[in-house]
Amino acid sequence: MKISIDWLKEYIPVTHTVEEMADKISLTGIESGPVKLGEELTGLVVGHITSVTPHPDSDHLKVCQVDVGEDEDIQIVCGAPNVAKDQYVIVAKHGSHLPNGVRIKRGKLRGQESNGMICGLDEVGVPAQYMPKEFENGIYVFDQPETPGQEVYDLLGLKDQMIDIDITPNRADTLGMRGAAWEIGATYDEKPSFKKPELDDTKVKDSNNLSVKVEEKALVPDYLVRELKDITVGKSPLWVQRRLWNQGIRPVNSVIDAANYVMIEYGQPIQAYDLDKLAGELTVKKAHDGDKLQLVDEDKVLNHNDLVVTSGDKILGLAGIVNGKLASVDENTKNVVLEAGVFDGASVRKAAQRHDLRDDASNRFEKGVDNGIVSEALVRATSLVDQFSTAKEISKEIVGNYTKAEPTVIDGSIKHINHLMGLNLSTDEIVKILDRLGFESEVTGDKLTVTVPTRRWDMAIEADVVEEVNRIYGYENLPNTLPAGMETRGGYSKKREFSNKLRDVLLGEGMDEVINYSLLSKKEVDDFNTIHSEYTKLLHPMTEDHEYLRNSLIPGLVRNVAYNQARNENDLGIFEQARIFNREKGVARPEEVEYIGGAVSGNVVNGSWNTKAQKTDFYYLKGIVDELLSFTNADAKFEYIATSDYTNLHPGQTAKILANGQVVGLIGKLHPKYQKSQSVDDTFVFELNIDALFDLNPRNVQSQSAPKYPSISRDLAILVKSDVQNGEIIDDIYANGGKYLNNVTIFDVYEGKNIKTNYKSLAYHLEFLNPNDTLTDEEVEKAFSLVKDSLVQKFNVEIR
Amino acid sequence: MSLDDKLKSLRENGIDEAKRAEKLQELNDLRVNLLGKKGPITKALRGMKDVPAEKRPEIGTLANNVKNDIQAAIEEKMTELNEKLVAHQLEEEKIDVTLPATKQVQGTKHILNQTIEDIEQFFIGLGYEVAPGYEVEEDHYNFERLNIPKDHPARDMQDTFYLSDELLMRTQTSAQEGRDMEAHDFSKGPLKMISPGVVYRRDDDDATHSHQFHQIEGLVVDKNISMADLKGTLEALCRHVFGDEREIRFRPSYFPFTEPSVEVDVSCFNCGGKGCRICKYTGWIEVLGAGLTHPNVLKMSGIDPNEYSGMAFGLGPERFAMLKYGINDIRDFYLNDVRFLEQFKGVN
Repeated sequence: MKISIDWLKEYIPVTHTVEEMADKISLTGIESGPVKLGEELTGLVVGHITSVTPHPDSDHLKVCQVDVGEDEDIQIVCGAPNVAKDQYVIVAKHGSHLPNGVRIKRGKLRGQESNGMICGLDEVGVPAQYMPKEFENGIYVFDQPETPGQEVYDLLGLKDQMIDIDITPNRADTLGMRGAAWEIGATYDEKPSFKKPELDDTKVKDSNNLSVKVEEKALVPDYLVRELKDITVGKSPLWVQRRLWNQGIRPVNSVIDAANYVMIEYGQPIQAYDLDKLAGELTVKKAHDGDKLQLVDEDKVLNHNDLVVTSGDKILGLAGIVNGKLASVDENTKNVVLEAGVFDGASVRKAAQRHDLRDDASNRFEKGVDNGIVSEALVRATSLVDQFSTAKEISKEIVGNYTKAEPTVIDGSIKHINHLMGLNLSTDEIVKILDRLGFESEVTGDKLTVTVPTRRWDMAIEADVVEEVNRIYGYENLPNTLPAGMETRGGYSKKREFSNKLRDVLLGEGMDEVINYSLLSKKEVDDFNTIHSEYTKLLHPMTEDHEYLRNSLIPGLVRNVAYNQARNENDLGIFEQARIFNREKGVARPEEVEYIGGAVSGNVVNGSWNTKAQKTDFYYLKGIVDELLSFTNADAKFEYIATSDYTNLHPGQTAKILANGQVVGLIGKLHPKYQKSQSVDDTFVFELNIDALFDLNPRNVQSQSAPKYPSISRDLAILVKSDVQNGEIIDDIYANGGKYLNNVTIFDVYEGKNIKTNYKSLAYHLEFLNPNDTLTDEEVEKAFSLVKDSLVQKFNVEIR
Repeated sequence: MSLDDKLKSLRENGIDEAKRAEKLQELNDLRVNLLGKKGPITKALRGMKDVPAEKRPEIGTLANNVKNDIQAAIEEKMTELNEKLVAHQLEEEKIDVTLPATKQVQGTKHILNQTIEDIEQFFIGLGYEVAPGYEVEEDHYNFERLNIPKDHPARDMQDTFYLSDELLMRTQTSAQEGRDMEAHDFSKGPLKMISPGVVYRRDDDDATHSHQFHQIEGLVVDKNISMADLKGTLEALCRHVFGDEREIRFRPSYFPFTEPSVEVDVSCFNCGGKGCRICKYTGWIEVLGAGLTHPNVLKMSGIDPNEYSGMAFGLGPERFAMLKYGINDIRDFYLNDVRFLEQFKGVN
């Protein structure tokens, strides 16, 4: 809401610039910014049109003589359809400045001299949607004579200065000028003063023809109305109109403007109905499903949750939100009903959302209104309508429901309040601050009892008092201290340390860390559901791209590879450590499992002046995974088991990764078809379940001296069928190599020329070592023979 | 020629030859030929038997001197040749040091994780535990335990991805507060924790909004926690992250789970407070929200607000990183363009 300084001055003295005030209010209360309307405007004065003649060379232009308070009238050519003799209008004189850098200069229009411009309100800065409808397509005309030559800014509020406050939901008490005056007054130690509205007692009568009923009393704690009879609806005074349009409210007529004015003044929305359009008792109740509310430009279909104001069979409006057209007040209205109610915030909020009708009134009810001023606000609205539209008769207050407003009494302790602030203020200082806010205090020893008026319904407990005292005292006056309690040992959890270690390994392997979205498309969760999880779907996703919780890190990694390769960044090593979501059938909540996954594509090493290019392949990534697994420090047997289970991975270049026989992850090349569909080059991926790896028993590392005795080596070359895997051979060599077989490595794999079809040649290096004694050739030879015999027997190998 | 003259002539020739040698091999050969057992000096000394006995010592001395002199000449020449050889080798081995290196690549930690870990390290140093929490959370912990009942207007401040009536993607890491408070044994000392992680909002992605982003929640509950403690802690944090000269200020705000609630501004690290484009000419930059734990929140976790008080704060690593490194588009964090990622190598 924008707090007009001109308006604020009715309540408190204002001695600072809007900039200073906005800063100060931001620091002590509510985030604010200064607003200075029309700073650029110059040369705008009241003009009196003394004659209008047709333009000799134009059908629509008119030549006007205008008195602008100078010795002679000036001639202005004007094209507005509503220009007429004797009007008082806005004149932009030669040399004047208008919004958006427009400058008015004298000139000739189709041969006729024109010494300025007669302006519409939108041309001088009033937004078109907020200016009175009658002036939408023409110049603005003052309702009553003004002094020609007088500047128009104050008359029209064109240079109003305001403080735009951006309230948090708890401070809706400042959504009225009076509440804002209390807040700003407390900031500057100025108590606001307000005039109590009064009615012309001679007009007040008992009403005999209007009854009011509230069916939903719990949702409508207050519902008060008054009727005014024999009024004449016209325009409201200019001072009301200019304040409204500067608030972003379009002036309509003398009744509706009065109602809106009181909403801004008190924060209490007021509704007006044409009494003669009512069809019976004014009733607040729940709608029936399918009921229709007729608005000016559309019908709304209601349901049984909607709280409506009805009269007989007419649905007049959505309570607290909008008035329909059935009983709307217009220029022909003679008798009017003004309504001041308090409607349940949650109910208003939901209905306003449901029907997309949030506005000034619903916004206030949602956040709350002061139920201590409902009656007074209604008096104020009534008196303004009487003032602008002259009623013959005013009814007494007619009560549909009424709840007595009680001030809030909060008990606190001076010591505790100080202690929560970290300050040591005296009782007097605290009481004085509370007094600035208009709160009464009573002190007995350390006990503080604060009585808070109904206008501050956000105040309920001692902590609220702490906030008020602390902010008005000034947060800038707080000392800087650190919590001084018992020492604590901070740190990461063991699992987080574990995953940090694994991330460091991949960083060390030259892979960049990425962070992807956890929400995937249906296709992406289909693509890599290797853990066979039930999908977890959002109830109301924003887009199809982010609809499901991820069940794998691979779709994100592939997306990153595609994104980069589309930008010619082809050589990639990336990894992500994040959670995937694994849901069991019949269970609502998915398990959150920490995963680490990576992708490599393109070259590991680019060719350069001194190096040959090296492409990534399965074994390169496997080397990284091996290193990662060794850093798990797990006392476990890790295995790679070839698999063709995964649709989008290459059936001949993919393995499940097992730890002690349990699947903990996978590694493989993307399937060529999938690669093509994703527009990526040959790409290799892996992912590992960190939770599963973390749960493995750690190695019990006890230092051993490096062996003192030399090792003995044997090389073994074999010819074996192509489909036999290295893993099987190595396992068999270890199984038969005896206790001194220390290490087996493969150093050659060959298929092709000079090797018979469907066979391959493998060569192994076996290292034997006895840490406690010198090995003899005989011992080694014996073990080596056993190895060879077994290979021949089991795999039908040829020893070469 | 007398033996005397013979030796002298051998010396002269030997030294002369050594001086003329151009290769190490020639010098080695010379040494073997002149000074070896089969060399001319040894041979000449066989004529000693013809020398009178009284002159023999003199000739002996002369012979030794001749040997030494030739030896010295050879060595001197050898040193010279060796020097030349080394100089030549060095010349041969000269390289262009401006040619590019053989690449040794370490990966780059994601800038968000660098930012988060920098903040985590700061708090670990102050004795805070790092407790991550759930990304799929119950409405109960995400809202109700934070004093945000159903229909509370504050629920409008953050649109939520629900999975069911009771389950949602957490909208704030504050959701961890209730879990940590109820799990903590206060007889063992204060609760001091930070909870970093991913949160979700039902937002359209654009330059400043993301349906997924990170938060770090901080919570301290003890018998003597005050607004001054909160201010001191956050000022120290801001100095750690944004520089030693920084100051902070509190502005009143509203969060349902803290009372008092404040927004925290840090003095602009770019202009030092004079006003610039980054701080929108105010000298201050809003960096986080904080406050004292609302007594209702303490009560719901079984903590007596008359005995204990708490302070809580929530900050956004994306915002910190965007401010610190001038990143203009929050989506950049999630596109993972390696050219973007690698600029932040080693910044933290």
